[in-house]
Formats: sequence, C-alpha cells, structure tokens
Amino acid sequence: MWWSVALARTKQRWLPALVIPFALAMAVLFGSVQAGATVSLPPRTADEILAMIARTEVRALSGTVQQTAELGLPEVPTAGPGIAPGAASALELLTGSHTARVYVDGPLKARLQIMDRMAERDVVLNGGDAWFYNSADNSATHLTAPAPSVADVRESLPAKPGPDAPSDMPVREIPTPESMASHFLAAIDDSTEVSVGESSSVAGRSAYRLSLHPRSTETLVDSIAIDVDSETGVPLGVEVRAKGQAEPAYSLAFTELDLSTPDAALFEFTPPPGATVTETAVPAKPVPTMPAPEDAPTLRHPVITGAGWDSVIALPAGSAPAELTSNPQLSQALQPVAGGRAVTTSLMSVLILDDGRVYAGMVPLERLQSAAAQ
Amino acid sequence: MSAETAASRNAGAPRQGKGWALLGSELSVLFRRLRTWAMLTALAAVPILIAVAVKLSSRPTTPGRGPLFLDRITQNGLFVAVTALVVCVPLFLPLTVGVVAGDTIAGEANLGTLRYLLLAPAGRIRLLLVKYAGAVAFCCAATATVTASGALAGVVLFPVGPVTLLSGDTISVGESAWRSLLIAAYITVSLLGLSAIGLLISTFTDVPVGAMAATIVFSVVSQVLDNLPQLEWLHPWLFSHHWLGFADLLRQPVSWTSFGDNAILQAGYIAVCGALAYAKFSNKDVLS
Repeated sequence: MWWSVALARTKQRWLPALVIPFALAMAVLFGSVQAGATVSLPPRTADEILAMIARTEVRALSGTVQQTAELGLPEVPTAGPGIAPGAASALELLTGSHTARVYVDGPLKARLQIMDRMAERDVVLNGGDAWFYNSADNSATHLTAPAPSVADVRESLPAKPGPDAPSDMPVREIPTPESMASHFLAAIDDSTEVSVGESSSVAGRSAYRLSLHPRSTETLVDSIAIDVDSETGVPLGVEVRAKGQAEPAYSLAFTELDLSTPDAALFEFTPPPGATVTETAVPAKPVPTMPAPEDAPTLRHPVITGAGWDSVIALPAGSAPAELTSNPQLSQALQPVAGGRAVTTSLMSVLILDDGRVYAGMVPLERLQSAAAQ
Repeated sequence: MSAETAASRNAGAPRQGKGWALLGSELSVLFRRLRTWAMLTALAAVPILIAVAVKLSSRPTTPGRGPLFLDRITQNGLFVAVTALVVCVPLFLPLTVGVVAGDTIAGEANLGTLRYLLLAPAGRIRLLLVKYAGAVAFCCAATATVTASGALAGVVLFPVGPVTLLSGDTISVGESAWRSLLIAAYITVSLLGLSAIGLLISTFTDVPVGAMAATIVFSVVSQVLDNLPQLEWLHPWLFSHHWLGFADLLRQPVSWTSFGDNAILQAGYIAVCGALAYAKFSNKDVLS
C-alpha cells in the first residue's frame, strides 16, 4: 500500500505545477476575450453619431496611439546591424506598426512623440513655431510661420471666428484618429454608404462604430470604420480595410486616452545642448509633414477625373520630383511597368510615367493606366 | 488535536527564524565567493572600459552609431551608466545571472551539501525560496554595480550637466540620478524571469555547469527569437522581449507601460517556473 500513498503524494506535489500555468492561461484567455467583447450602448443613427463628432467639445487630450499599416509596401528595416534607430525615412512610417504619444491643448498646441525602439521622434507645435526633434541623430529642425498679423485675423473673422483660424492648420496635421476621421468624414457624399456597426471598446472607452462603404466597385477601399467615443464624440480609432485583404490595411487607434489638459511645459521645446539645429522659415502655410511636389504652380495643376472613391488625380508632365527616383528606399518600392514605374499598395496606386506625368488614386493600377492612355 | 496544533505552532516560530537564518547564510556564502566578486568586477569594468575608450579616442563619435548615447558621453558623463547598461543587457548580465541561478540547487547537489541543507527542518519550499532570493539579490547587486561604476567613471572622466532625454527635453542632474535608479530597477526586474528559469533547470540536474549553460542558452535563444519577424505572435511571450524597453524611462513624461508589461511578464515566468521547480524539487531524490 505504501506505493499508492507515495504516488498520491507525488501527484499532489505536481499539482501546483499544473494548476498555476493553467490558471495563468485561463487569465490570459479571459483577458483577451473580454478585450474584444462588444459593449451595449443605446442605439443611435449614423446621422446622430455624425452630429456627435461635429459637436464634440474636447479641445485637450493626451493619449497613446497605435498605427498599423499593412499596405503591402516593402518593409523598411528599422533594426539590425548598420541601421541607426529611427533614422529611416518617412516611408518607414507607412510600414509596420508604430506607437506614438499625442498631446493636444486647444487648436494651437500639440506634441507628437513617435516612440521608436531606443529612440524617439518628436513634433512640437506651439502657435507659429514647429519643432522636429530626432533623438537618433540628435538633430532638431525649427519651422517658424509668420506670426498672424491683426489684419489676417480680422480678415478670417467672418469665416472662422477666433484666433485659431490662421494657424490651426498644423495641429490638424498631427495624425490622431480625430484628424484622420475628419479627412474621411469630409469626403462623405452620395458615393458613400454610411451605416452604424457593432459598438466596441477602444482605449477602455465604449464607442460607436461608424462604417463607411464606397458604393463604387472600382476602388481598392473595401470599408472604413470609425470608432466614436459614446460620451464625448471624439473619434477614437480609424480602420481602413482593403478589398481582398483579411487584416486592416491601415489602422490608427488610441490605446490610452486621458481627456485632461496636458502639462503646458510639454509644448515648450528648447533644443538640447549639442543638438544640430536647422532653422527654416515658412513663408506661407506651414506644412510640417512631407513637402508637396508643387514647386511651379503655373504649370502643374492637378486634374481630377472621376468622382468619389474612384477618382484619379493626374499631374501633368514634369511633375515627378527627381528625388522620387534617386532615393534608394523609394526606388525600392517602385516597380517597372509599361511606360514608367508604379507603386501599388493595397489601398492606393501611383503611376509615374517616363515623361513625368503622375497618376494616383485609390484604384487598381489598370485604371490609372487606362486614364493615362486617354 | 489541540496538543498537535500547539506542537505545530511551537514548531512554527523556530522554523520562521530558520528561514531568515538560512537566507542570511545563503547571502553570506554567495557574496563571500570569489566567483561572485569576479563577476561583479567584470561587470564594473564594462562602463569603465567604455568611458576610457571614449576619453582616449580623438575621433568624435557620430550620432546614431554604436550603442545608445555613446555620442553624448563626452558632453555629459552621466550617460556612461546608461550606455553601459545597454551594452550589458543582452549578454553580460544574463551570463552572470545564469551562472548564479544555474548554480542554486545543482551546485549544492554537486558539492554534496544539499543533503545537509535538507536535514535541517527547514523544508524544501523554504530552501527553494531562499535560493531564489539569493539569485534575486545577485540581480540587484549586478545592475547596481554597473550603474554605480558607470556613474563614477562618468563623473571622474567627463563634465556633468543637465541630461537630455530621448524626447529632446533636458532634466536636472538630481532627476537624472532618480531615472538611473529606475533603469537599474527595471533591469533587475527584467532578470527575475531568467533567474526563475535558472532555478528550474538547476533542480533537474546535479551538474551545475550544465544548468548554467542551459540558462544562458535560454536567454540567447529567447533574444534570437525576438529578432525574427516571422515569429511576431511569440514575441510578447518571450522573457527577453521587454529587456531593452527601459528606454521608455528616458522619455518625457516617463512612459510606464513597458515597466508594467515587463513586471507582469516576469511575474508570469516566476509563477510558472517556480511551480515547476517546486514540483520537481519536492519529488527529487536527494542522494548526494
């Protein structure tokens, strides 16, 4: 009989070794199930939710956003031997996953911190000043927009009241779910079917889900979902799905959100000692993201053909900037096609012809080629 | 019945004391060993080597090349400690922790002293806890050594001033000392999971070198897997996944997310490996 007692004791001793991993696995499973659970909210129509977004009174927030892009672009290596962290180009922001912290206070102050692995890229906007800081090479760029003169402000008063009119442009350029959503919402017209999806939970807040479906079958976009906070009407997340792709092609959503006013010191940026500082004065509207290829405005008026989702933007000959083809990272993304080169992603295509004409749109490449042939 | 509980209660008090006595003797044995001091000295040498190399080299370091903050050391000596920690985290610290954690049970078994430790009415759980506490104490000592020696080398060889964070903001010297302590704490927490793995492996063998090597191999394999993009689903479960996340403590304001994630992950490893180690060790036939 002694052996059965010994066996029972052995079993008893192995028990915690089984119970603890099992309990942890259950906790992990339960946590992931709960995170994806739907929330029950009083039903609202699409128009009511659109009105909520328009009426939102949130002017200040701090939060963490996660951006994931699965556009089918070649991935730019960000880690590995010989590559400085955070030194990759703007193209790198369109591949893979990025986490950033966003601080917004009113229409004039904002700060974006792109959190790279052991590095950080910062954008600080404060009135007419814009600072870009990259910790990887310890460099800072200072953009100064001319201070809005009284005449400017007065001129803009009838259209947009308040002093925010001349310089509220930069803050809108900070990629928050809110600014993303406003881009898409501004484009809603007859070509879009707006519906209300299942409510969800984003950044620990219950949210209505607004779905935009293009009525056109020509476009690459399958649907766009915008999660709207049920309390304040702030867009919490944007998800763009491409046709024929299981994962979202692009998503930008808060993972943490705090609606209190951020510390004012966050918007005061002084370049650290030892940093290389570049001063740039912007004559007209500050465009802090990529410099648009509109150098000679007389010749190069873009022509838009089609309407809504399947419209094609055409730039006349000589529009293609030279650095597009000389940049090794960009030329890696370009594939040769008949008569030129093209970038095809799951959401949009760009066709650069050898004579310098550029066609772009959220449509398949074939449609751009037929537009170019006309 | 009552006599029995009284007896067990009586036995309880000295056993409690025995645990602390055991911990005391474990720590004194650990920190009186020549090997422990040799490892701590080697760790202390890393920041000194970095500082001296940067001081002696005439070539200005290019930003963005070499380990984090290497280019800023000449301007501010306080960066020596951070740079040294970046260098030590992938290999040197896991190496030394692997040696200590792998030696815990297997070393005693190999020397033939495990039997005598278990003769005392301390119990196997308590012995396991004391052994783990010893490994944790070494983790603390190791990170503290690198941080302290880095700070010293930096202060002696380079000017000291306000520190630039990854966000581009500058903080005072006092706050930078506080952040260095936080980073040391973060790395200590990071090494707890590896210590638990070492303890677990150590219960399976009587050959300490084998347990040490296996622990170090585990840490290397985990880091290699963490660098393979094909295994992205596995990454959040690897104990080394957050090891370099201490950079989040150098942002303004401090991002605590990775500290929390790291602590939860390491606690999971401690729970699972601790349970398995308990099961194995309490069933182990101690013959030597």
